[in-house]
Parts: sequence; structure tokens; C-alpha cells
Amino acid sequence: MTALPLTVIGGYLGAGKTTLINRLLASDHGQRITVLVNDFGALNIDASILRSANAETIELTNGCVCCTMRGDLFFAIGDILDRTGRPDHLIVEASGIADPSRIAAVALAEPELAYSGILTVVDGLNLTRQIADPHISDQVAGQILAADFVAVSKVPREDPAIVAALRALEVDRWIGADEVSSILPLVLATELTLSPRMPGEASHPTYVHWSEAEPQPMDGAAIRGRLMQLPPGLLRLKGIIADPAGGCWEVHVVGTRLEIAERAENLAGGIVAIGLAGLTTEAQLRAWWVG
Amino acid sequence: MSEIRVFRAKKVITMERVQPIATHVAVRDGRILAVGDADCAAPWGAHETDDSLADAILTPGFVEGHAHLMAGAMWQHVYVGFHDRIDPDGKMWQGLTNADEVIARLRQAMSDLPPDAPLFGWGFDPIFLTSERLSRKHLDQVSPDRPVAILFSNFHLMCVNSAALALAGFTADTPVEGVVKCAGGLPTGELQEMAAMFPVLRRIGIDFRTLSQSTEAILNYAKVAQRAGVTTITDLYSMLEDQDLDLMLDLTSREDYPLRIVPAVGASGPPSQVAERALALRARSTEKLRLGAVKLMTDGAIQGWTARMRWPGYVGGQPNGIWNTAPDEIRALADEMQRRGVQMHIHVNGDEAAAVSLDALAAAARKHPWPGARHVLQHCQMMDRALYARAAELGVACNIFANHIWYFGDQHCAYTIGPDRAARMDATRTALDEGVLAAIHSDAPVTPLGPLFTAWCAVNRTTMSGKVLGAAECIDVSEALELITLGAARTLKLDTEIGSIAPGKRADFAILGSDPTTCEPVDLKDVPVLGTVFGGRVYPI
Repeated sequence: MTALPLTVIGGYLGAGKTTLINRLLASDHGQRITVLVNDFGALNIDASILRSANAETIELTNGCVCCTMRGDLFFAIGDILDRTGRPDHLIVEASGIADPSRIAAVALAEPELAYSGILTVVDGLNLTRQIADPHISDQVAGQILAADFVAVSKVPREDPAIVAALRALEVDRWIGADEVSSILPLVLATELTLSPRMPGEASHPTYVHWSEAEPQPMDGAAIRGRLMQLPPGLLRLKGIIADPAGGCWEVHVVGTRLEIAERAENLAGGIVAIGLAGLTTEAQLRAWWVG
Repeated sequence: MSEIRVFRAKKVITMERVQPIATHVAVRDGRILAVGDADCAAPWGAHETDDSLADAILTPGFVEGHAHLMAGAMWQHVYVGFHDRIDPDGKMWQGLTNADEVIARLRQAMSDLPPDAPLFGWGFDPIFLTSERLSRKHLDQVSPDRPVAILFSNFHLMCVNSAALALAGFTADTPVEGVVKCAGGLPTGELQEMAAMFPVLRRIGIDFRTLSQSTEAILNYAKVAQRAGVTTITDLYSMLEDQDLDLMLDLTSREDYPLRIVPAVGASGPPSQVAERALALRARSTEKLRLGAVKLMTDGAIQGWTARMRWPGYVGGQPNGIWNTAPDEIRALADEMQRRGVQMHIHVNGDEAAAVSLDALAAAARKHPWPGARHVLQHCQMMDRALYARAAELGVACNIFANHIWYFGDQHCAYTIGPDRAARMDATRTALDEGVLAAIHSDAPVTPLGPLFTAWCAVNRTTMSGKVLGAAECIDVSEALELITLGAARTLKLDTEIGSIAPGKRADFAILGSDPTTCEPVDLKDVPVLGTVFGGRVYPI
């Protein structure tokens, strides 16, 4: 059974997490998506979208996942894994004060889950005020620093105030929360298929795209060596790399998080990566891996 | 005409001003008909005298204002903690002071399990073990092939053996901080936080959700309470899904269920929905299941460095703690609960959390006047005089975590907030002097349920190392006894029904083997509990 990809959508109260999820669900994603909602004032996932999009939501009214002894969110994820018909992708809408990395860590720990990133939505209108509020600044900043991908809501992504606020947090790349077609490849990994691309098929303009259908076989040490030095601008990578000694390695990179697993069977190989245009190029990605 | 039964006791401590001491208490229809001497029931006609408690001391049934149903449920699994604990059936489980004792206890427990069944222990606390840090190597000595996992007393960590690591697929490559690795890169067996614990828990069949809402958990809760002399108890942060509620209603309504439970459902989600749920639950209240309050988490725990602190914060320079409910949400919830008439129990450990919560309650009270709202701050560990004065003027009750002084006082001096602020922690004297409506609690299963022990903590303020933490905050025995009876009843708005022995109140008593008011204050915790009387029926242990 393949692992179920899990993405956490984080961000402070009112940042626009639900809006973003509604947009994702309404887009042409072609997947069966389950959304676990754990937010204060949330439960606003659009029911008509759910019906048309072959998606569902599960509401957790049981308190913040980080702190209750019972860890209801984790057991709810377990319920989904135990079902006979699993969805294609699981999205967790974190509560407005949750540390999304504490939730996403379960995807790195649980073998039946695949880590598919933390996307933190930043409230473009209120970030400056939130960072200045001593009661909440640490937690708001923590959510942003935990993110693999940052999406800015409510203002244009070049808005000078938000640029200054994010740069002050040493965030160097972000996208607009309304750019659904840019978010899909990040969250749902829609461009990370190992099947060969059509000749002339264009990548999304926000991204550069590099892939090889038959990557050079490598041993674990060689793969780890590359993963130790991720190129700047790399957003996601997925690879099945044959080992010269038999079997293969399954590799995932999401943001700065790595997963590497040895597989005894000989799976069909391939490697595909996307990076942020402007920060990297196809040639740079290729050079990093191929040498 | 119902039957009148007059209990004769060695002494009845009523906690009432007019007749603080009596020898007899008359009961009819589960309620107290009269209090006094052998003739107290005479004006009411024919009665019979019950001498079965003639050698005992009766006090009002104790009221535990902050505990969790899990206190009963954990006993389905083997206890491996540092402190002695008594299980619901009265068996004493000796505290374990080193890794070898933990291993021996687990081996013993294994002999009762079917072959290959996973073994799950709980209550382990590494803070008290001076030997080498527990690892899979220790637990591999319990069993090399059966999964073994022990949950730490803080519920945030586990240690598992190699078989359990293999079951979850944890290897050197598992890329999660919570799967702790040794210098050589292999998992040590220690798993930190739910994300890392979950893959093992899931595969050994442990689900915390069902731990607190099974028949066994609810029945055990009553047994644990009975042994502690408790006749009314809370379940703070209850989930109470509909099927859970049906089960609780069924079990608590049984005639021989000797406990009144006051659940407070978790206040999470849109405030209007929280209020609606609370009001709907309130309508389903019964005599022994009192519904309608909500519990709000604000910050974390001081010993985990997650409590929200005012300046100067933690002595080790750790970052300020975390909000589990953001200040904006606290304000929104306080406003809506106040408006809708829903009582809130608000978890506040750090002083910043207390201050923010009091601000929220003050704003809500100004907007939606509700005399007698009686919201309750829970734990109140770092509240100072000014915060207590504020609580008093707002009519906000404070349920103080007195047990912390003994269990964690030394740690607070050394590691969290330093000796000066630790000395004024859980400041019961100050709370009473400021006129706060106060109570004290155990937070069971975080510390064991035992109101007499809790009272002993507030009276003596002794830490595990034997030092007295802030002697100026000690209270006297009679004050402490009031806090574990009437005081806690007040926080639950049940003081017209329980909390003292007076005509008209429920016939709920603690049966004690010696007199807590005449023993040395340092011996208060050792006063034997012989059982309870609930609704006029005797439940000896």
C-alpha cells in the first residue's frame, strides 16, 4: 500500500487557511482529498465544493492537538489510515495557534503517511501587528518558520510591508495565497509524477521543473551526500533510484525535510524536482544531482 | 413515609458554623434530615439507628474540583511510576526507584498477558530516577520480541523496546526529532511527543480517546474516588460525544454508582457552538451527572516550560511558553460564555495566562453583567496577591494546584522559576486573605487523587526533598478541610447541595479512621479513608 501524503495548512487565526483550502478543493486537482479541520471558528469548508470535488472534511471539535493528553488529531488520522478506501491526499487544517510542525511530524514518523509539506498562510494585513504583540509574536513567527511554503493572503505578495515583515523573519520565498495554480504543485505535488512528460510540456511559470526517467543508479551514501547539500530554491523532489547492489531507494524532499527509505523490490525508477523560478534553474537542479 | 436512618459516629465534622461537631446524622431519601446527637431525628418520628460507623469520623464527602476520567482508565495497564499508588481495587503498587525495578515490574505484568500481546506501562517519571536514562536496552530485557512501551507520567514521552521500534518501522533513517537517536544514529527507544509516539501506540492498540470513555474507566473512576473519600468529582476537559454521554448517563444513574461527576466539556471551536453544546448538555443533567460547564485551555505547564509567563520568565532563559488558546480566542470565548450564561473553568498555570484570562473575564463581565457567573481559574500556580485581589473583585473563583508543591516544588526552585517565585507558588494563604472563593486540587491522574493529601500539601507546603516552600503561604487544617469540601463545591456551584453536613444537603460523607482536626498537621495525609457514604448508602472499602 502506498503511503498517504499529508499536508498541514498552518497560520494564525484569520490568516485565511479555510479560504485557501476551499480554493484548493475547488480547483482541478483530480484527487480524492480528506480535510481534517481543527480550527477555532473554522468549519467553513464549502459543502458544495466538497460534493463536487470528491472530497470530505472531518471536524475535530476536541481541542488543540498540541496539548491535550489525548492527541485526538493523531488518532483521527489513524482512523483514516485504517479505512478500506483511503483518500489520495490528507490535508490537516491546523488550529490558529498550533505549531504545524508538531502535527506534520507524524507524517515523517508514521510509515503509512508521506510528508507532503507545511504551508503556512500569513495574514498580509495583520502580520506586522501580530509580530509586535508580545503575547503572540513567538507563536506567529514559529508557524512561519516551521513552514516549507509560505503563502501571503489579503495583500499582493510584493506588498512592501509584508516583504519587510517576512524578510525580518528571514523568509526569502513566498507565494500569494490566491495563486491556486502555484499552490497545487506544492501541496498536492501535482507536478511530481514520475511518468515521462509530454514533449514541449511547459512547467508552471512560477516553477522550474527537472526530471529524469532513468536516473543513474546510486548507493545510499551517494544519495545522502546530495541530500546534505540541497540547492537553494528546491521546493520538492521525488525519486526512485536503483541501488547498484540491488533494490532501490525512495527519496522525498519537501522544503528542507528529507525522507529516504530503502526498498528491497526493484521499482520503476525516476526522479523529478521542482524549484522556485528566479531562485534556481533546471540546469542547476540537474547539475546538483547528476554532477 | 420513607425510612429514616440515623448514623452514629465517633464524631461528625460538619463544616457548618452553628454546629461544627456532632455525633449523629439522620438521613432520609438520600439527604440529610437532621444533625446533632442521638435524638436529632426525634422531631421527625420513627427512625432506626445505624451503628456501623460508630467508630469512624464522618466529614462531608470530599469534592475534587480538578481531575480527569483517565485517572480510572490508566489502571487497565501496569503502573511503573516512582511514587506509591493504590489502584481502584485497593492494591498498593510500590513506587519504582530504579530501572531494574521497572524491568522487574514489567516482567511480572508480562506473565499475565497472552504470548505476543504488547505490554503497555504508564506513570514513569525519569526526573526521579538517578540511574542511566531509560532506553530500549532496558526494555529489551523485559522482552526481546514482544512490543513493550511505557508512557511517562507527563503523557508527552514514551520509551519502547526494539520490538516496538521495529513494529513502527523506526530506524536510523526516521527523520523525526521525536524519535531520539543515540550517538551512533540508532533510535534509543525514547519517543517524544505524540507525532513520534503515535506510530507505536497505533500498532499496540492504545487509543487515548477510548481510554477515558469506556465502561471500565467510568466504573474505576468511582472506585478511585471512593478510596479517597470523594463523592463529587470533575472531569475537566471532557469530550462527551453523544455515545459517551449515553454511556455516562447509564452508568452514573445506577443506584450503586457512588459518585457525582461534573464534566466540563472542552471549549474549542466557534464560541457560539461551544455555548450551544454546553446549554444542550446542561438540559440533560441528572442528579449524579452535572453538565453545562466548559473547560478552556490557555497555556501549558510550568515544568514543561510551556506555561505563559510574565517577566522575568523562566530562570533558565527558556522561551516563553505556548498558548493552546490564543488571547483573542480567550476573549471571544469569555465574551460568549458570559453572554450565554455558561460557566467556564479556565486552565491557567503561568501568571501571564492568569492575567490575560482575568482581563478577558473583566471585559466580558462589563459587557454582559452576570452576578454569580462564578467562572473558575484552574491551577493558578503563579498568581500573586494582585491577581488574587483581581479575581476576588471579579467574583472569579480560584482552584489552586496544591499537590504541585510536593511533587514538583524542588524542580520549580532549581529549574523553572527559581526559589523566590517558587516560594509563593500555589499561594493558598494569599488567596484566602484576599477573599477569593478558593479550592485546592490534584489534577488526577497527573498526581494521585487524594483530597486529604492535597490538604496536607496546602497546610505543610513540604517538597519531596523535605524543604518547606514558602511557609508564609501555609494555611491551617480547618481551612484546608473547607477547601476540599465546601470550597470545591462552591467552584462547581453545588454548595447548596453538598460540601457540608447540614439538613437538606445530600447525605454524602467521607468515612475516616481518625480525626483530621486533632492529628498533627504533618500527619493529615495519613488519616485513613475507610470509604464513603453516598446518598445515605454506605460504601466501605
